Amino acid sequence: MKDNFRQSMKWFHTWVGLIVGWILFFMFLTGTMGYFYQEITRWMEPERPFIEHNISNEQLLDTAQAYLNKHAQGIDGWDIYLPNVRDQNLRVGWRHPAEPGKKRGKYKIKVLDIATGDKVASRATDGGRLLYRMHYRLHYLSTDISYWIVGFCSMLMLLAVITGVVIHKKIFSDFFTFRAKKGLPGWLDIHNVLSVIALPFHFMITYSGLLFFLFTYMALSTNLQTNDDEYREMRKEIYPRTAHLEKANQPAKMLDVSVLYQQTKTAWQDDDLSYVEMYAANDINAQVLFVRHETDITYNPADEVMINAVTGEVIAQQAKEYTGAGIIHNGFFSLHEGQFAGPLARWIYFFTGLIGTAMIASGLILWTTKRKPQQMKKPNGPDFGYRLVEQLNIGTIVGLPIAIAMYFYANRLLPLDMVDRAAWEAHVMFISWAILLIYPAFRPAAKAWPEQLTLAALVYLTLPLVNALTTDKHLANSLPHQDWNFAGFDLTFLVVGCCFAFAAYKVKVLQASKRFSKQSSKQSSKQRVQQNKPPVLAASESLLSLQQVNKEKC
Amino acid sequence: MPYLFNKFNLASHRWPVFSRILAATIGGYALATACSLFISQLLLNVVGKYQAIHIGLMLTFIVYACAAIWVFSVESASKAWLGLIKLTLFFTITTWLLMQFTDVIRS
Repeated sequence: MKDNFRQSMKWFHTWVGLIVGWILFFMFLTGTMGYFYQEITRWMEPERPFIEHNISNEQLLDTAQAYLNKHAQGIDGWDIYLPNVRDQNLRVGWRHPAEPGKKRGKYKIKVLDIATGDKVASRATDGGRLLYRMHYRLHYLSTDISYWIVGFCSMLMLLAVITGVVIHKKIFSDFFTFRAKKGLPGWLDIHNVLSVIALPFHFMITYSGLLFFLFTYMALSTNLQTNDDEYREMRKEIYPRTAHLEKANQPAKMLDVSVLYQQTKTAWQDDDLSYVEMYAANDINAQVLFVRHETDITYNPADEVMINAVTGEVIAQQAKEYTGAGIIHNGFFSLHEGQFAGPLARWIYFFTGLIGTAMIASGLILWTTKRKPQQMKKPNGPDFGYRLVEQLNIGTIVGLPIAIAMYFYANRLLPLDMVDRAAWEAHVMFISWAILLIYPAFRPAAKAWPEQLTLAALVYLTLPLVNALTTDKHLANSLPHQDWNFAGFDLTFLVVGCCFAFAAYKVKVLQASKRFSKQSSKQSSKQRVQQNKPPVLAASESLLSLQQVNKEKC
Repeated sequence: MPYLFNKFNLASHRWPVFSRILAATIGGYALATACSLFISQLLLNVVGKYQAIHIGLMLTFIVYACAAIWVFSVESASKAWLGLIKLTLFFTITTWLLMQFTDVIRS
């Protein structure tokens, strides 16, 4: 392509990154929020009660079973989700019978109030699930189309990661260099550092993302090698399931789940129950599966205990058999999803995801800063392409976080009895994003950046306030209850808002200092020529970039 | 022909880039598919049919990525196309040969 290999790869990296950069930014940001999707859902259903401390698992199981017996008779599969760090309410769920013409019925989760044993009536919302599903099932597009778009973007991301490594001259020394106060970094430096510090994560998340839809993307190869039955067999081998008995249609009295749980507790030697699945409830074949909190990246058969719910016998489970390739495949899945992660690891996932997001953002900004001096010299102003990239950068990098905040505002402010309320929460998000994408077209970039940053700061800082005015789940209540789901959410908003405020402030200060240094450089340029010193412009410009990336990290 | 040549401005630098993009997406996909068939035939008797197919599929993304990078690193678009076609043919023919071989063993 170009004169030598590295030059060609540089060209390739630039364009591969640019054409899908904004979609990748969207995928990375919403996907990163997905690491907290359960927490987000709880915040978006403020009718839910505060956390109840010190309630035994047995008591919770009794409450749940009583509710299910009353409201879910005739349904085969019951699930009970115990309160945990991620969602501090007791929940039960079951799949409704399929509507005519559909393959499977809808799965519904109900939140239970432990005090009354009854269901909590929440506002209509799709919660964090909707945000996290967006990152692979683009909201308004059909499933098939979005899988292919996402696959195309992920493939280009994989290419960008590989070529990025190839063109980076000193990747190993960068990996081990601690660069504190070593002068002011430019956008290229920032892009490099963000890419290198989380390189294994970037590769893992991209490759595993592709693996999720392996059989969709590689349908040609799969169809050439298997027919429908073989395909089903193969999928069973790759994703084995826990076997359970089917309903025998002979009603029988089940023992209390809390009583059955005692045996599980002795088997595990701990009380770390995560959820319970019941098959063929109130039938002679009733079985209960107790599942412990996942702590392993790979499968651990000891995490599951199956018990006959009528006789109370522990059923010796045949451990799921994974093939070697299946272990790698499923291992990549759990690395991608991070279900095994405890609170600390979850935050690390979250920040690594943000580093990935910031890497994409810095790459996009780098494209414009590199071309800026040349573009500014053009007699008719910058090219259309350049202006478009700049506009999309402002509208996406700052606009999307604002739009996500608007999603939360919509959740609090839309009328509770509104028709299609849940759908409108998402509409509000995308409408505000559209506005923020268009807005920079009518403003010079130097003004649009600080303006949108200020707006972002305002929006995030006032969210906890709006929360306090519209619900009783605000900081003054959630902190005394030590309910870290609710409190952590509001606190995170405040931190994010402060970061945006800081970024907006720095951009303004640096623009002012740039103007000043331009003037002074005109005055002192004669002296400088005599002393043979380079202009100081470069340094101040790179300082600006440093501050902007600080914002991205938040 | 010269008219068409001028009409579409085939001498411009855009056409080779467009041709390479096609080579990377379509040619790369064909190569990746052929390679996955080859790998699963190769491993068929070692790890069983389903796992062999699975391994072949899991590696396709890496093959695809390498192919795309290679397409953009060689001097000319025609060289890229030729290379892709040669490799795809090689994998397809070897897979076919392997299939004959494994069938003989089975029967």
